Amino acid sequence: MGIASLVLGIIAIVIGIVSAGLFGWLGAILAIIGIILGAVGRKNPEKSGISTAGLVCSIIGLILCLIFYLACAACVGGLGTL
Amino acid sequence: MIVIGGLIANIIAVAILKKKKMDINDFIILESFGLLGAFIGAKLLYILVSANDIQWSRITEWSYLKSIMQGGFVFYGGFIGGIIMSFIACRIFKINFLSYANEVVFLIPLAHAFGRVGCFMAGCCYGIPYDGPFSVVFPENSFAIHGAKLFPVQLFEAVGLVFVSIILLLSKKVLHNKYQIELYFIIYGCLRFVTEAYRYDAARGVFWGLSTSRWISILMIIIGLTFIIRKNPFHCTK
Repeated sequence: MGIASLVLGIIAIVIGIVSAGLFGWLGAILAIIGIILGAVGRKNPEKSGISTAGLVCSIIGLILCLIFYLACAACVGGLGTL
Repeated sequence: MIVIGGLIANIIAVAILKKKKMDINDFIILESFGLLGAFIGAKLLYILVSANDIQWSRITEWSYLKSIMQGGFVFYGGFIGGIIMSFIACRIFKINFLSYANEVVFLIPLAHAFGRVGCFMAGCCYGIPYDGPFSVVFPENSFAIHGAKLFPVQLFEAVGLVFVSIILLLSKKVLHNKYQIELYFIIYGCLRFVTEAYRYDAARGVFWGLSTSRWISILMIIIGLTFIIRKNPFHCTK
């Protein structure tokens, strides 16, 4: 759980930095799954360290992806209703 | 703004749950499932209400699919998707959804209020033409109609949402209300039903004279009242 969370978190950070405008939605979904896996992994005391790292990476990835994705969506247009 | 609102709401939620000595991991799981459901639900309902405007023959084109994915979201779709996914998480991980929701539900309208201020800044979700006090004229590069005086419905709803948040907080602290989420359903349903009358943006998805969001508002009020009268299905404990 912890390793999967960390991997997904790192992928989300990379997407967030490199191409959040295009794949921000995908990065956000991966980051959310990473957060879930990290939180589940933290319940196991033996693997709570790597799970916490995965959780933190996923949260950072989610914030990056959402900020750039929403900013890009606002620029591109077509935001009919919210 | 919605990201800032979400961050502030989460910081407050974690502080409250730590004070109450509740499991933060369970809260993170519930919230993440809710967020995933919200993302999918908001996008699906947007596609549903604007189905007539979407060129379905071009849906397989990458550039067109990308433009749809970068397009709008409908709050109510996100709300319903979030509730469904939270319900699934509550069943899978045997988490008592209501114990967490009752503590932090007042933060949902607070974060939503930030989102509405963001709408005002972008010019989306704009109001009806109006020439009275507080009317606003949006600049050319915004989503709203340019050059016309419009009712600032986004700010009107943001103020309403802050009041909803205060009412929910007071009902928890002063009245020790056990029906926080049901109360939120009813109050927000009423607020949204009213604010929909002042919305002028396209893609409202009108059915039988009422917009999609108004129908969902009515449904929310009915669900809130039903949950108060009957047993709430979210009562799943460890």
